[in-house]
Amino acid sequence: MNKIRALKLLCLVLALTLGFAAGCAKKEVGQGGDDDELAMTESEREAAANISNGIIYFEYDRYDLAAQSKDTLSRKAPVIKQFPQLRVTIEGHCDERGTEEYNLALGERRARAAYEFLLNLGVPASQMDTVSFGKLHPAVPGSGEAAWAKNRRDEFKVFKPK
Amino acid sequence: MIVKYTLARGLFPLLLIPALLFTLPRGSEAAPLSVQVVGAGESSVNLLQADPLGGSARAPALRKAVNDNLGLISFIRLVNPAGVPGGAGVSSAAGEGVDFKRFALAQVHLLITAFWQGSSQVEMRCFSVADGRFMFGNRYAVGAGEKDLLDTADAFCADFLEAVIGRGDFFRSAMAFVKSDGALKKDIWSMKPNGRNLTRMTDLKGEALSPTWSPDGRRILFTHIDKRSHGLGVCDTASRTVQRIKFPGNTVIGPAYMPDGRVAVGLTDGRNPSIFLLGHSFQKERRLDESSAIDVSPSVDASGSLMAFTSSRLGSPQVFLKDLRTGSVRRISLSGSYNTDPSISPDGSLVAYARQEGGGHRIYVHDLVTGAERQVSFGPGSDEEPAFAPDSYFIAFMSTRAGARQLYVTTRNGGDAKRLPTGSGNASFPAWGPAPRR
Repeated sequence: MNKIRALKLLCLVLALTLGFAAGCAKKEVGQGGDDDELAMTESEREAAANISNGIIYFEYDRYDLAAQSKDTLSRKAPVIKQFPQLRVTIEGHCDERGTEEYNLALGERRARAAYEFLLNLGVPASQMDTVSFGKLHPAVPGSGEAAWAKNRRDEFKVFKPK
Repeated sequence: MIVKYTLARGLFPLLLIPALLFTLPRGSEAAPLSVQVVGAGESSVNLLQADPLGGSARAPALRKAVNDNLGLISFIRLVNPAGVPGGAGVSSAAGEGVDFKRFALAQVHLLITAFWQGSSQVEMRCFSVADGRFMFGNRYAVGAGEKDLLDTADAFCADFLEAVIGRGDFFRSAMAFVKSDGALKKDIWSMKPNGRNLTRMTDLKGEALSPTWSPDGRRILFTHIDKRSHGLGVCDTASRTVQRIKFPGNTVIGPAYMPDGRVAVGLTDGRNPSIFLLGHSFQKERRLDESSAIDVSPSVDASGSLMAFTSSRLGSPQVFLKDLRTGSVRRISLSGSYNTDPSISPDGSLVAYARQEGGGHRIYVHDLVTGAERQVSFGPGSDEEPAFAPDSYFIAFMSTRAGARQLYVTTRNGGDAKRLPTGSGNASFPAWGPAPRR
């Protein structure tokens, strides 16, 4: 019995050691590639397009959902639920005016606002992720309110996980 | 021009304890100097290197390297030798018989002499021109290579700063920063603050932000963002290997090492990005402050007892200070509606932060003792991401004043910001660290 326990412990230590060694290696760093995705069928592609269409926008330094945004999300929810094999990444974005770290937090709140609204509409948490890009990825280049208004947004990226 | 001789003479030997080799003899007693630069652009020290003595062919290269180094210091203005009546030559490197009046006529305040003994040893001294007083000097052994020559310049400039402001950390530190090679790709680089030893530390798909050095210099932590997630990047500075750690909530913002090797970092637990304490193995230990708002960008002093951070708890983002011993929290930024990116000085006396004003941000410094606030950067463009040096005197920051994002350095008193050489590409998020291990 003790030998079995010792063997289990040894296996655990080895697994942890190997895992840590792999984690330390540069090549093991998550590369964010597409190798974690499956190809979509025609109907899935159509659903993905419906989900991705309809970016929602925010006021400056705000993350509350406008009525129009809630309508947009309400149209997405049944489509997401209809395709449980698909996963949606809700991306929060900001305009260029704030500083990088605070904008990452603000973008997270924006993504989280949409996530929670969809959750309340019955979309399973297992089908959604949030990620903030702050002001790193503007949709529209340039300065001025016209560009800023288009950059304060949530985008919805759909993929089919393996 | 305000130059105050404020350090007691008895302190001078203490200041030179870490200096190289030994202090050079001088006929008159050494008189230490402390420079107080009062107000942005109001004061500076005019400095000149006299023509080197001894005839070494390596002398011009050392002179240039020292000038390049000192040209990065915001309160130093290098005087053109051509402006000195009779030229920049001196009869003696030790000061005897030197006609300081010629240099005074050229508005020189500090005169540096160099005397080479062969090509492997140089004596360097600094004099106050106003009264011809010897301030400090050292003899440096110079190795045969170009790197050795540059090391000598760095060592002298570190000793010079130590004599002038009490700390020579500027030329003894390392700096990590973010450099972008193209769209959607940002990596961590390191260098000496004068641009030497420029090294790519990571080569990752995605974007690295907000580097912070471990107290022993063995690791650089950073935020890493790929197309679907945030991670805490852990770079081993010796091997340049990287580990990426994900956290529940998928948010990692602005890690900051604590002096005990633990980490404060913005993570999401529920709805709000909050500052959490991570243990030595990066396991989540506890939330460092409770609020229902956004809390990010921790910066901890060298004692580990004071933490500056950004919070939206009063509506707009403002800078707060938490006493980690008592738990008390107070607001630091009292003007403006958008203050972010705090950096507390290692000695716990000052907090620098970026305030949004008009078309961009400007760096301000808040004195925690007096409550006074001082603007230390003036654009144009946007000045963000201030970072105090280990000496609590210099402040590096990112600025778009020349168009692209580049790193600049000023002091806690302001003054002319000097651009740090970071090579091609946009540079941001400066982070000072300990000198590389030898």
